Amino acid sequence: MPEEASISDPPLQGSRSETVAFAIGAAGWILPGLGHALQKMWGRAIACFLIVGVLVIVGAGMRGNLFTSNGNDAFDSLGYLADLGAGSFYFLARSLETSGSDVSHAGGDYGTRFLATAGVLNLLAALHAYEAARGRKA
Amino acid sequence: MSVLMGWKVSHFQALLLFAVAISLAFGFLSRRQPLERVKYIVWCLFLFLLVGVGIGWAMYPFSR
Repeated sequence: MPEEASISDPPLQGSRSETVAFAIGAAGWILPGLGHALQKMWGRAIACFLIVGVLVIVGAGMRGNLFTSNGNDAFDSLGYLADLGAGSFYFLARSLETSGSDVSHAGGDYGTRFLATAGVLNLLAALHAYEAARGRKA
Repeated sequence: MSVLMGWKVSHFQALLLFAVAISLAFGFLSRRQPLERVKYIVWCLFLFLLVGVGIGWAMYPFSR
């Protein structure tokens, strides 16, 4: 029986570490850079936080379109998913855009892209933190 | 924040800001050593600008 116990130990450990890795990835999504900070990757954590933050502030400052859940078509839904990738910064952008979006000029259109880029970039960073937590080379 | 609201940038400034942000993110996420990061960031930035300006010029004949 001791052999059985020793055989069953690694999968339990594996599933636990998988859960921790998932939690780290989720933390990285909710607050940009937190996933790396929890693993003491300070440079990457600060870089992710600042880059996503700057993109969100500039995107909202240029009055880019911040998509909501009640979109009219598939592109709106995809835009919403991309914007939501910024985690808590999505709500920061919403609070900054008090006068709403204005895409009647090129700046507003660029702002929309900056906001979407911030979200997708944060998703990439969260995935990177998840992979690093799983022990993959990162 | 009201200073930033309605902030106007030129096409090239927007391209430059985008390229710098993405290059920094790629460099920090994909490289570990500081020197490697700097090299990768500069290389990414150069390629972003080259391709961006190149596509801009490629579209020039159809712009009017």
